[in-house]
Amino acid sequence: MFLVHLWNYIRGYVIIIVTGKGIERFINICSKRQILLWDIVRADMDSASMKASIRGFRLMRPAARKSGCRVHIKKRCGLPFFLYRFKRRKGFKLGLFIFSALLILSVSIIWDIEIIGCKPEMIPQVMNVLNVDNIGRGSFKYKLNPKDIATKLVLNVDQIAWAGVEIKGVKLFITIKDSIEPPVLIKNDESFNIVAQRDGFVKSMEVYAGNALIKEGETVKKGQVLVSGKLESKNPEFGTRDVHALGRIIARTWYENSLPVSMIYTQRLKTGKIHKTVYIRFLDRRFKVSGGNLPYEMYETETVEKLITGPFGLKLPIGLTIDNSYEIVEKQVDLTLDEAIAVAVETAKEELRKLMPEDCIVIDEIVKHYDGENNTKYIQVVFECEEDIAGLEPVLQ
Amino acid sequence: MRRGFYRLKGAKDNKKDPGESLGERLARLFDIPGDVYGNRPKVTAIGRGEVLIENFKGIMDFQSGMIRINTNNGVIKVTGEALNIREITNEEIIIGGKISNIDYDA
Repeated sequence: MFLVHLWNYIRGYVIIIVTGKGIERFINICSKRQILLWDIVRADMDSASMKASIRGFRLMRPAARKSGCRVHIKKRCGLPFFLYRFKRRKGFKLGLFIFSALLILSVSIIWDIEIIGCKPEMIPQVMNVLNVDNIGRGSFKYKLNPKDIATKLVLNVDQIAWAGVEIKGVKLFITIKDSIEPPVLIKNDESFNIVAQRDGFVKSMEVYAGNALIKEGETVKKGQVLVSGKLESKNPEFGTRDVHALGRIIARTWYENSLPVSMIYTQRLKTGKIHKTVYIRFLDRRFKVSGGNLPYEMYETETVEKLITGPFGLKLPIGLTIDNSYEIVEKQVDLTLDEAIAVAVETAKEELRKLMPEDCIVIDEIVKHYDGENNTKYIQVVFECEEDIAGLEPVLQ
Repeated sequence: MRRGFYRLKGAKDNKKDPGESLGERLARLFDIPGDVYGNRPKVTAIGRGEVLIENFKGIMDFQSGMIRINTNNGVIKVTGEALNIREITNEEIIIGGKISNIDYDA
């Protein structure tokens, strides 16, 4: 019964009042003409109310004329009449259109990217590959080809064994399987020497293969052959054999850097003026709202993100981005000698650290200062380190 | 056209005895129910609030206390309180309300 009511509601029906003497005749003619009537209630001697479908109501006119009854509509019910009301409302239509357009737009873009299964340090590499193709939050789903992206990832990111790209709803899932780096194969049929990579004082050495030419405690120069790949037999009759020299040569090395001491130091100071630039952020796109151009020559920028928080603690990638730019003034400050030396030493050390290889252990630091020409003072920083200076070089035949 | 057909059929029915025709007798012989063959009305009362009449010819009288329905086997009168017609189609009529009597030939 509920289904019948629902169907009637969808099709639309009218509640009509029939007045006249021949209501029975009216009902009979209607039923003979396949006009469905329901809920007929006698109101008084010469009127009755009943329900009829819209189609039925249109066909009712001859029946009413024959039976001498008058029919008028009491109420229009159902979906067609409900919708008819919206037919003339332009604003409503426009709103409906905008709503559906926004809905379609919002489900057809990528809202989030999830990278699964790889080491955290590889994520920037993966993101770089995506950025090259302009794939990010906000790109259209239909333009993306998961297979192409996966192929590109495998080709362009090192140490990836397999990449799977999948679009699920508005999320882009990237699954990555790391590959294990193959060990460096040592070809035994080729002959290699171990040479010193830099000057140093050999502290200890472990030679696994090859003919050691130096001893512990010797000083070596850069490029000097430390372990030869030519194995000479004690018995000269057997001649020599070419091997791949292997070994670790731990040596003391020195790194040195000298800098003039400058008594003037430029300091960067915040003036206290802040310029705010406000952007509306939608996914990875920013639209400037207020702020205009920056009035400062030098500034430092701090970015604050204010995102809309959705239900269940979900952070939506929509919100405001505020760039706080602090004005900065460079000020020349006169330093005392001690301060100036400290600043110079610090810069010299930093420069040195950039030069040194990673596996090098600093054992000692020596700081010297001496006077140079024109009344300038110089400082010299020496790092004494221990490192493996073994480098491989093919033996030239 | 429809109207003419209707009248003709009605006139034929009036002339004929409401008793069994040859076809109906045959139908009885083969155990075919009367409402399947012939135009015998089938009256179904469900509880007290609903009466379903199939194979009716038309309603003769419709008041809130009494409904008279014309069928091939005479007139069926349904009396009660607050009677209404739930649904009416070409073949069946459903009467609702508080029903007290279903009378034949009244």
